[in-house]
Amino acid sequence: MTPSDAPKTGQPSVFHTSRRRFLATTAMGLVALSASGASAKILFGTGLPWDSGSIEPPRQVLPGPWTFFTPREGEMVEAIAERLIPADDLSVSGKDAGCAVFIDRQLSGHYGTSDRLYMKGPFQPGLPTQGDQSDLTPVVKYRQGLKALDDHCRRTMGGKSFTDLSPEQKDQLLAAMEKDEVTFDGPVGAGSFFSLILQNTMEGFFADPIYGGNRDMVSWKMIGFPGTRYDYRDHVLKHNQKYTAPPVSIGGRGDWARKG
Amino acid sequence: MTRTRLAVAAAAALLFAAVPSILSAPARADDQDFALIERGRYVATTADCVACHSLPSGKPYAGGSALQTPFGTLVAPNITPDRGTGIGNWTEEDLRRTLREGIGRGGKRLYPAMPYPAYTRMTDDDIRALWAYLRTLEPVSNAVEANQLPFPFNIRLLMAGWNLLNFEPEPFKPDPQKSAEWNRGAYLVQALGHCGTCHTPKTMLGADDTGRALQGANLQAWYAPSITADKRQGIGGWTADQLVAYLKTGANHQSLASGPMAEEIQNSSSRMTDADLKAIAAYLLDRKPPGTQAQTATVAADDARMRTGGAVYTDTCMACHGGDGKGQTFLFPTLAGSGVVQADDPATLIRLVLDGSRAVATDDRPTGPAMPPLGWRLTDADVAAVVTYIRNSWSNAAPPVSADDVAKMRKTLAQVN
Repeated sequence: MTPSDAPKTGQPSVFHTSRRRFLATTAMGLVALSASGASAKILFGTGLPWDSGSIEPPRQVLPGPWTFFTPREGEMVEAIAERLIPADDLSVSGKDAGCAVFIDRQLSGHYGTSDRLYMKGPFQPGLPTQGDQSDLTPVVKYRQGLKALDDHCRRTMGGKSFTDLSPEQKDQLLAAMEKDEVTFDGPVGAGSFFSLILQNTMEGFFADPIYGGNRDMVSWKMIGFPGTRYDYRDHVLKHNQKYTAPPVSIGGRGDWARKG
Repeated sequence: MTRTRLAVAAAAALLFAAVPSILSAPARADDQDFALIERGRYVATTADCVACHSLPSGKPYAGGSALQTPFGTLVAPNITPDRGTGIGNWTEEDLRRTLREGIGRGGKRLYPAMPYPAYTRMTDDDIRALWAYLRTLEPVSNAVEANQLPFPFNIRLLMAGWNLLNFEPEPFKPDPQKSAEWNRGAYLVQALGHCGTCHTPKTMLGADDTGRALQGANLQAWYAPSITADKRQGIGGWTADQLVAYLKTGANHQSLASGPMAEEIQNSSSRMTDADLKAIAAYLLDRKPPGTQAQTATVAADDARMRTGGAVYTDTCMACHGGDGKGQTFLFPTLAGSGVVQADDPATLIRLVLDGSRAVATDDRPTGPAMPPLGWRLTDADVAAVVTYIRNSWSNAAPPVSADDVAKMRKTLAQVN
C-alpha cells in the first residue's frame, strides 16, 4: 500500500499510523529487553543464593510489658478477649491464651501502621465484599475505638468503665456493638471496631504460638490441628485410627526433652 | 529478485569480512601445542588448582582466599603469568621443583597447605602439560601476601626441618600386580586429586598420618568422612557405578555432596572423564578396609536421649528424610547406613543440623537442594539428642553426641560465618 492508495480524506491512513506505532513500540520493547538483560543474573551451582549463618529466623514473641497498648488499653483488650473466648471445658480464655499480647505485638509491627498496604486515596466506602476501605490504620482504630468504648461506658453505664462491668453487661454491650446499635464518638464505628477486635482475637487464638497468642498450642490441641508437621506418609494407610502425635509450633515443641 | 540478490550480496560481504580474520589468526608457535595445552588444562582441573588459587569473585588463578590452618593464615598466590605479581618470571623447572620438592623459584620454601606432598608423585608429562597451560592464562596483576602466619611459623626455612621429618620427594610407583585402570586411579587419588589433603587425618605437625590414609579428617569445621572401603564409616557399601555417579553428578543413591566436597565436584571431578572416575572407583573400593571393629549400637533405644531425639526427628527431620531414614533419592540424603552419619567425628552432622547447607548443582543434577538451618529452633541438648538418635537408628551405630559438642560447633560456626 502506497500513500497514493490511501483514501483521499486528507487524513493519514489507519494502516500507516498503526504500522509506525507498531515499529516504535517494538523498538522500545527491544530497548527495554536489552536493558533488563544487562542486569539479569544467572544463578547456578554454588552461585545459588545460600548464605549460611545469615538466616533471619522468626523470633518467638515473649510475654512482657505492652509494646503498643497503654496499661489501660491492655486491660480493656484482655477483658474483651476474655468475653469473646471465655474459659470453658474446651480451653482457657482468649486472655489467658495470650490474644491481647498477640494483638499488641501485631500493632507494633507493620500490621499496625498498614505499612504494607496501599494507603493513598481515594478512600470510598466500597461494598462489603471489597473489605476494609478505611483510611484509618489499625493503630488509629484501636486507640480511638478503645477510647470511644470507655467513654461510652462511663456515659451510659452510670460512670463505670468497661472493665468494671459484669460479664453479662460486657456481653450485652459487645453484642450491641456487633449489631452496630451503639454510637461511638470519633471516627471509628462500634460495629467495625467490634469486627476488627473479634477478627484479631481469633487470629491470636489460632495463629502459631511464636506470635504470642495460642499459648502452649491450646487451640490446636482443642481442635486436633497438628501444627507445622507435613509428613504423613507413615499414617496414610492407618485408616480409622486416631493421629496421636502432639502439635508442633514453628518454634518447635517445648516438651521434647521432657516427654520425648 | 532484487531482494534475493541483495541478501546474497550481504551474505558474501559478511563472509569476506570474516575470512581474513580467520586467516590472520596468529600461527601456533611450537611451544603452543594445542593438545599439550588441553592436557594441561585437564591436569589443572583434576588437581583443582582453581579451588585455592582463585577467589569466588576474582579472576581464575589470580590468587585465592585466606586458608585458615591450625598454625595460622595462608593465602594461595597468584599463578597467572604476570611478571610482577604472578609466575611470569618462572621457568618450567621452577614449577617442577615446586610440585616435586615444595621449593619455589629462588629457593623459597612452600608450606604444605600447597599439597606438594601429593604433587611430588606427578609425572613429568603432566607437569609439562600443566606448565604449557598455565603459560596461556591471561596475566593478572594481583599481589598476594601468601605467608600470613604468626612467628615463628612465618619463617619459611622451618619447612626444611618439616620436610626432613614428614616429606620424601618420590615419584608415583605403579603396582605391577594391579591393572592399568587401578594404577591410574591410584595416581589420581594420591597425586593429582590429592584426596588425602582433606580425607587423611593429620599428625601433630600437620602432616598426613599415612598409617590412616583416607580414613576421614576434620578441617575447617567439616568432617571429611572416610573414603576407605569400610562398610559402616566409609564407602565400602557403594558400587563403582554409585561412586562414579557421586563424583560426576554430586548425587547418588544415598548421598548428596555439600560443603567443600560440593566445590570439588563442581570445579573438578564433574569435569573429569568417565574413564578416570571409574579408575578412582576401582582403586578406592579395592583398598583393604581398615581393621576397625564392628560397632554395636552404643545407645539403647529407651535411653532418654534417644526418646528426645526421636521426638525431635519426627517433628523436624522426618518430612524430608522419612520415618525410615531413607530420604528421597537425589533430593534428600539417606541417613540409614550413611558413612558421614556414623563417622566417629560427628562435626559434619552437627554442622548440617545447626547451619543447613546447599548440595552441589551439576549439569546432570541441576537442582542443588538445600537443607534449612535448624540451630535457631533447637537447643544444644535437642541437637545432641537428634544427632545421637540418627546415629543409632535404622541399624546405624555410632557414639552419642553431647550438648557440649554442639555448643562448641555453634561457637565455631559463629566465627566462620
